Amino acid sequence: MPTYQSDRLKAGALCSVMLIAALSPAVALATLGEPEASVQNDVARLQGSIKTTTPRENFRVHELQMPSGTLLREFVSLDGNVFAVAWNGPFMPNLRQTFGRYFDSFVAGARLNHSDHKHLQILQPDLVVQTRGHMRAFYGRAYLPLALPSGFNLGELQ
Amino acid sequence: MRATSVLRDALGIALCLSALSCGGGGGNYSPPAPPTPTGNNVVNVIVDEGPLPTTNPSANTLYTSVTVCVPGSAANCQTIDHIQVDTGSYGLRILAPVLNTTLNLPLQLASNGNTLVQCTQFVDGYSWGPVVLADIKVGGETAASVPIQAIGDSRFTTVPADCSSVGPAEDTVAAFGANGILGIGPFELDCPLCETQVVAGTYYSCTATACAGTTVAAGSQVPNPVTRFAKDNNGTIIQLPSVGNAGAATVSGTLTFGIDTQSNNASGTESVFTVNNVAELTIVFNGTNWTQSFIDSGSNGIYFTDASIALCTTMGLTTFYCPASNLTLPVTIQGQNGVMTNNMIFVVGNALTMLNNPAAANYAAFPLLAGSNPNAQSFDFGLAFFYSRRVATAIEGNMTTVGTGPYVAF
Repeated sequence: MPTYQSDRLKAGALCSVMLIAALSPAVALATLGEPEASVQNDVARLQGSIKTTTPRENFRVHELQMPSGTLLREFVSLDGNVFAVAWNGPFMPNLRQTFGRYFDSFVAGARLNHSDHKHLQILQPDLVVQTRGHMRAFYGRAYLPLALPSGFNLGELQ
Repeated sequence: MRATSVLRDALGIALCLSALSCGGGGGNYSPPAPPTPTGNNVVNVIVDEGPLPTTNPSANTLYTSVTVCVPGSAANCQTIDHIQVDTGSYGLRILAPVLNTTLNLPLQLASNGNTLVQCTQFVDGYSWGPVVLADIKVGGETAASVPIQAIGDSRFTTVPADCSSVGPAEDTVAAFGANGILGIGPFELDCPLCETQVVAGTYYSCTATACAGTTVAAGSQVPNPVTRFAKDNNGTIIQLPSVGNAGAATVSGTLTFGIDTQSNNASGTESVFTVNNVAELTIVFNGTNWTQSFIDSGSNGIYFTDASIALCTTMGLTTFYCPASNLTLPVTIQGQNGVMTNNMIFVVGNALTMLNNPAAANYAAFPLLAGSNPNAQSFDFGLAFFYSRRVATAIEGNMTTVGTGPYVAF
């Protein structure tokens, strides 16, 4: 079973982890580049449930579990904007919903940059997407380089 | 695949950096070559520039030929070349435009009587098309009335949003990089969860105008076709010769079906590395245990993380490694069963140099091609790993004389 152990281990070691009920009004999942609070309906659209919210020093992470088993994590800056997402699981997440206005740029970049069916990296000034995997085990992350919190460590993006 | 085309397009506008390492010399890892197997359970495989060598030359992509027939017919058949051999997926998928219109393979029906249409998810996009039934013949092996996917079938052009949300469409030979793909990884089904649950972006029941997600019984899913062979159905063995560091225009080898089912596929003395339920094992590199690693004939490079190795700076190549000279690096593969390799090394070359070698413009095999792998607890050994090796892949639940699948052995 693929896991997100490093994130969770670090989270467990460094931070408190609050369990939040699905669709709690206190928590909204969001789309890349959009305000956290604006997209409460993501949860409904993705038919998922919020598993955890992990507060960090200068950002917080919402983790959403899809019915397919895939986990989607959304990284929100303290000013309330989603600056990164990461996923792992047996199926790809809905990237149109997750990437929002960056989806078309992602698709165009993917057409140009794929090297095989198992690895893809798109390195643009305003959007980075790095994914890999195969049937049964997909992993990926995307972030907005211009929107990262000051001092953010990309190693956190898992 | 198209990537190579992109890579070479980029090189067309790049400076020639021939002062950098020019490959050759040192670092080959070539155990004694076992004899080339022959028999009715063997099919030839080749690494070459692929089905579109001029416009979309492939890199490190392994192909074979597959014959598909209308079920029960000995005459209504078509042999299709440049089907990619992929131990990292499950199922036979063929690009519909390469299928003769006269072949007319019957459609697989969904449980509600509509047509079963699949959205196949890859990391770099999706492939949409109906499930059709075919008798499959590969080498001397035959599988009767097997569900396969016809990608890019013009009868089914309305792609559900949950499918197209994966990324770009890969529904043409150019976009897909092959005329089809033969998914022969260590499992049987491409979507076990789909037996009991409607999973977004997987299987759909479709009319001419509308599709709805559906569950799919195991027998109607697109399976690893090896599991449907009448014999030699417990796994595969890919055997490729060694390739010089500079690469080669073509590499010819064999794909043998079955493990310990005939005299030509005996297990011998290789080590068995079991994999978990998503085909992963551990690779130890630079003191780190990369626990989500995999060995995959369908990956074109060696993908791993090492911040000390220079990345290429040429546009289109910036995710590949470009060390000043070839690097010979130690690595250890560890199965879920704890079995570990001994004194294993691999070599990382300069991607720009190998792809920009004027004397090798038609090269398709690059044993030293390696790329970065960020966001990964993973070291991914692609086709380069298979050069100079005999790699067995045992399918889940199947016993051989040396173990029970899922495993890889070499």
